[in-house]
Amino acid sequence: MLKVENVRKAFSEVTVLDGVDLTIAPGEVVSILGSSGSGKSTLIRCINGLERLNAGRITVDDFDVSKPKELAEARKRSGTVFQLFNLYPHMSVLQNITLAPIEVLKTPRPEAEAIARKLLESVGLADRADAYPAQLSGGQRQRVGICRALAMQPRYLLLDEVTSALDPEMTAEVLAILAKLAAQGTTMLFVTHEIEFAREISDRIVFLDKGRLVVDLPTDRFFAADGGRAQPRVAQFLSRMRKD
Amino acid sequence: MRFSDFTSYDLILLAQGLGTNIALFLVTSLIGLLIGLGWALVRFYRVPVLAQIVTFLSELLKNSPVLVQLFLVFFGLPALLHIRVTPVTAATITLSANTAAFVYVIAVSAIESIEREQVEAARVFGITRWQVLRHIVTPQAAAFAVGPLVALLVNQLQVTSLISVIGVVDLTKIGHILNMRTLKPFVVWTVVGLLYYGAAKLVALLGERFENRLRAHSAWRGL
Amino acid sequence: MHFDLSILLPHLGFLARGAELTAAACALSLVGSVVMGALVAIARTSASSTLRRIAFIYVDLFRNVPFIVQLFFFYYGLPELGIYIDAFTTGVVALSIAGGAYASDTIRAGILAIDQGIIDAAEVSGLSRRKIFTRIVLPIALRTSVRPLGSVLINMILTSSILSTITLNELTGSAQIVVSQTYRPFEVYVVLLCAYAALTYLVSLAVTLLHRHLNRDMMEAVG
Ligand SMILES: Nc1ncnc2c1ncn2[C@@H]1O[C@H](COP(=O)(O)OP(=O)(O)OP(=O)(O)O)[C@@H](O)[C@H]1O
Ligand SMILES: [Mg+2]
Repeated sequence: MLKVENVRKAFSEVTVLDGVDLTIAPGEVVSILGSSGSGKSTLIRCINGLERLNAGRITVDDFDVSKPKELAEARKRSGTVFQLFNLYPHMSVLQNITLAPIEVLKTPRPEAEAIARKLLESVGLADRADAYPAQLSGGQRQRVGICRALAMQPRYLLLDEVTSALDPEMTAEVLAILAKLAAQGTTMLFVTHEIEFAREISDRIVFLDKGRLVVDLPTDRFFAADGGRAQPRVAQFLSRMRKD
Repeated sequence: MRFSDFTSYDLILLAQGLGTNIALFLVTSLIGLLIGLGWALVRFYRVPVLAQIVTFLSELLKNSPVLVQLFLVFFGLPALLHIRVTPVTAATITLSANTAAFVYVIAVSAIESIEREQVEAARVFGITRWQVLRHIVTPQAAAFAVGPLVALLVNQLQVTSLISVIGVVDLTKIGHILNMRTLKPFVVWTVVGLLYYGAAKLVALLGERFENRLRAHSAWRGL
Repeated sequence: MHFDLSILLPHLGFLARGAELTAAACALSLVGSVVMGALVAIARTSASSTLRRIAFIYVDLFRNVPFIVQLFFFYYGLPELGIYIDAFTTGVVALSIAGGAYASDTIRAGILAIDQGIIDAAEVSGLSRRKIFTRIVLPIALRTSVRPLGSVLINMILTSSILSTITLNELTGSAQIVVSQTYRPFEVYVVLLCAYAALTYLVSLAVTLLHRHLNRDMMEAVG
């Protein structure tokens, strides 16, 4: 269980998250929608311990990310995929993927490499294991980013706008992989602007508005006229997204 | 010599030593600056053969130890030419040439930083190469070069500490003498180090002032 | 006036051994400088203001005090503290500390240039702070600062000639011995000068190649 309880986060004077509550059960796919600046990335960064909370609590399988001693355990259970990939530029694809398993999980190198190669194969990059990030296309880099997160065998996969730096063709190739992961029962917390895709793969959709989590509904209810759309902010957001 | 403690006279010795370094620094910086600029002129006018020699010489001086250069001038020249060269003369020749090599490189890159088109454009109007150099290149190149030149001077001041090796009685040599006499190396070398440090900081400070004034001046003239 | 290089032939083996000592001292000191430089770079980016100040003083001091004074400080001073190390070790220690003051700047710049996102990624994957530094931050910073570190090495090779003043028979020290045996200072020091220039030229070539090789893979990603 991944639990976000009454979390408040402010940067100096500006409150970015304001009493956010969210629970994700294993196997669930939850999408976070919200306009730019609503705090989506900040929420993800609070969950993986990159930002310190001002109030509230976040636990990953009962490990509190605010407690230094538990953060390491919490981080082992979640994997993050970044918008700008953030691959290690000086390491090959294979090294990018095996670094953390070898150093953190103490997986023996041959085993870690076998796992990495299997992951690469599943995303269609079996032949690029020895390439360096700079030698890959954006879509390929992001697929490596996904493999890197999955190599830690996380219980929860956190994805922050993982396709917004990609062109449509590359977006499609990455989304196909995410759909496959969802179908396999991977638990995902998914920040996106791809509403149609979110609708396809999510069990639930939550909506952030100015740091408040104003809607948390099963996917079909979220899009129903008497469900999420009854909220003016959501209706406005959806219609604006459609037009684009 | 008997080992004995520090006396107040040692302060005078230290001051004299530092004076030697500073005097040599000033003289060789001035000579080096003039020679270096002369070399840069040779390059600017693309004087055949001479331009290549100058470039080669400056590379050689920049990429070899000053200590070896000192030895070459102090021990080598007299042996080759059967002349007498005093330590101070050798130090003056070596440090001037060494400074010149670096000044040359700074001047050349400063001149090159000024777009060639500016020069070409001016030439179209029948202005001589000398006028171009005087009125167009020099003011801009000076503004570009003053930072690196100050850094060079701070460095060359430290380089003067090597002249003790060929027997010039400078601050380092005085340090040696006091070290041997008092057997208090920590005190002696700390004091000597701090004196050099202070001198280096002074040069840096003056250089910075000069740089600021130059900047303000050229900004005012609206280059 | 006569100039005859053939008199050096019997001494080439001896000089080569001196050159080996120079190479060994510089190689060790380069490692030492990078370690010192990395430590100081960490200190300068640390949260503790005391640590930052100490790091700053170290860099400022060792850059503005002549190397020969630093060397004498260690050579004559350490025995006073009951630390007896040979001239070679003293030289390597002094060169490492002086080089570290320069290396810290380039390493620090390399560290600051690293994309924060890359460090975020390493952090969320559960790597310890130490691992992040040794496996991610330092390797990237060193790759991007290969060129400036190359200049540190070249400077170190030139500066290492000063180790001859503490009785170490590295290249310059060996040359002095050859002079005392042949009485041919001019030939010996001309060759020595060219040898250093050739050595530093080769090093700068190697650095360029290394820079290209190491950064070939991450060219785009850095930009
Ligand atoms: N490190 C920071 N320091 C100060 N303010 C920040 C910082 N990070 C984020 N913010 C502010 O917090 C607010 C929320 O940012 P966040 O990145 O979480 O939004 P978002 O919902 O992810 O937006 P987008 O859709 O554009 O990615 C913004 O107003 C942003 O300017
Ligand atoms: Mg965002």
